[in-house]
Amino acid sequence: MKILDTQANQQVAEPDLDEKVDEVLDIDAPWIVLVWNDPINLMSYVSFVFQKLFGFSKEKANILMMDVHEKGRAVVSSGPRERAEIDVFRLHEHGLWATMQQDR
Amino acid sequence: MGNNAAGPMRFRKNQGPVVKNKDGTFSVNLNDNERQALANFVTQLEELLLVGPDDVRVRRLYPTAYHQDADKDAEYQGFMRDELTQSRATSIATVRDVLATTEPIDEHKLHAFMTVTNGLRLVLGTLLDVSGDGTDPEDSFDEDDPEFAQWQLYGYLGWLLEWTVSALAGD
Repeated sequence: MKILDTQANQQVAEPDLDEKVDEVLDIDAPWIVLVWNDPINLMSYVSFVFQKLFGFSKEKANILMMDVHEKGRAVVSSGPRERAEIDVFRLHEHGLWATMQQDR
Repeated sequence: MGNNAAGPMRFRKNQGPVVKNKDGTFSVNLNDNERQALANFVTQLEELLLVGPDDVRVRRLYPTAYHQDADKDAEYQGFMRDELTQSRATSIATVRDVLATTEPIDEHKLHAFMTVTNGLRLVLGTLLDVSGDGTDPEDSFDEDDPEFAQWQLYGYLGWLLEWTVSALAGD
């Protein structure tokens, strides 16, 4: 049975990215990694991934997971751009909706 | 986020589909039909990944990285998309091994099983246009619904994922 073969809606929802981009970037400002809420990933899964990737305690991971769930996003790491890219990649490997931006 | 898969976790801890053994290994207790069906779905996922990240069905597996800067994102995706696809292919190969054996497996293999199960769920959830707002017919028993089988599978994958996470987390 080709159960994954149905045509999906042409519009795939994206996070509500309503923030404006500043014209001038501060090259010294650290980068932050955000995880955005989505309707598919399970809460237990998200919390476990936070623990596994970042070494967070279960309590801290659950707080961040609930921030994602209730506030729409949470900052899960910060640092140099290269570090943030690695964290984003690892989160994407796990199917989480992660993005990065400079913390200004 | 979705949280509807916890309900089916009604089995006793040591009777679930994924359990942690005393020696630290894990057992995936699925029957032959489940293993074959999952292997089939994994093959379909593999085929979709070969179509490429721009296919709407797998867009959810290739999120934007720089949401405020399209140029930086294009640069990032140019470097990382192939690596992400390769990572998924490696996990899929591991999951084939998991589904081909009834022997205990190590944490690394179960972790791959978890990420691939979640990937399947993400694709299926995209196809079903899951909203997470409480109106999704996850528990529908309307067999005339043309998406009935997919919703059943979506629920099953969520149930399996909950047990997998629980075993890995040691809950």
